[in-house]
Amino acid sequence: MTEQQIAEKGYAHPEALVTTEWVAEHLNDENVRIVESDEDVLLYDIGHVPNAVKIDWVEDLNDPLMRDYLDPEHFARLMSEKGISPDTMVVFYGDKNNWWATYALWVFRLFGHDNVKVMDGGRIKWEAEGREMTQQVPNFPKADYPIPTRDDSKIRAFKEDVEQHLKSQGPMVDVRSPGEYSGELLHMPDYPQEGALRGGHIPGAANVPWARAVREDGTFKSADELKKIYEGEAGLKEGDDVIAYCRIGERSSHTWFVLNYLLGYEKVRNYDGSWTEWGNSVRAPIER
Amino acid sequence: MDRKERIAFLVEHFKDPRHKGVLEDADVTMPGGSPECGGSVVVYLKGDGNGGIEALSWTGQGDTISMGATSIVMERVLGERMDLDQTLSLDYEEFVESLGRDVIGSRTRNATLGLSTIKSAIRKFQRSRFVDAGDRVTA
Repeated sequence: MTEQQIAEKGYAHPEALVTTEWVAEHLNDENVRIVESDEDVLLYDIGHVPNAVKIDWVEDLNDPLMRDYLDPEHFARLMSEKGISPDTMVVFYGDKNNWWATYALWVFRLFGHDNVKVMDGGRIKWEAEGREMTQQVPNFPKADYPIPTRDDSKIRAFKEDVEQHLKSQGPMVDVRSPGEYSGELLHMPDYPQEGALRGGHIPGAANVPWARAVREDGTFKSADELKKIYEGEAGLKEGDDVIAYCRIGERSSHTWFVLNYLLGYEKVRNYDGSWTEWGNSVRAPIER
Repeated sequence: MDRKERIAFLVEHFKDPRHKGVLEDADVTMPGGSPECGGSVVVYLKGDGNGGIEALSWTGQGDTISMGATSIVMERVLGERMDLDQTLSLDYEEFVESLGRDVIGSRTRNATLGLSTIKSAIRKFQRSRFVDAGDRVTA
């Protein structure tokens, strides 16, 4: 796939995606840092794109104590260690259809690091094309990264925001599996680890499992295909103020990326408290 | 083993999982984990009637740590011919240590998915035996 083919998919912001071919041509570009972020944390050690650095959503991006993301000081330190400066273009890729790659990208955006892209197709496409993989961990010189300001207001939703959204009947997308959405999965015996006391979904939320946005080869569907799903089926409209959620906000960051960058919705927030917060909250309304 | 070798050990079990498959005549079938988070397994257990394990197997899918560690603990339980109580007494911390803290990091839940599900299967099996015995006494 070429950059032209990404352009032909009709996205609002085609520049948010790069092809595997583009990445292969920029492996040694000092203005670009390639970041692998996976669910399967050993994949990077087993083999990764040459010169890619690893960012682990648990150990690098989460606050170790409080349920929150890292603070600006730690983000600046992490960027410095990975050889990323505020001007560096960061290209994310990972396993599971770039699920965790978009999550890391979303966290970068909280800190105003906006020069970010996703490698369309992710790790699975890179591997399928037989491209070079290495176990060698690059050692970039530390970069200068001033402590940024974190702005949670634009792309992150908290429980109070969701409650307000409910009152105003704003559109919401629950991107979990149908079993989680209906509450059936939580009530299957032996699945307490889903992490919530109650099953179901936030009233009025449409159910669009996150992975419907990608094709079998791991690349994103075209804008027309995505519109059929999110507008035709889920009823979203251009200009909508949308909140997406899942279990802990990781899968919904993928949908946030799709709605925001690929379909051009300007007001999309990811509710990272998601079902593990809502489904445990006293008197939070639930629909099944 | 150094870190690289410990990772290779997990990867080898991930690619060539031991004792994987459905046990048709299992006394207990126990699911565990989450298909959307790290991995999920189903453990099949058949007791020998004397506190031992006649057969044990598993199916599942997930990441390298959860699947590799499940295969490793299966091999250990069956290879060392552990009985039910010995298996229940396996220590999670010790198991994670044996896999390598530097490899597992914060993914201890993934690493212990197989072991915890085996223990759940054993407890379910023991409860069912207890109930059966109770039924017989009552009858």
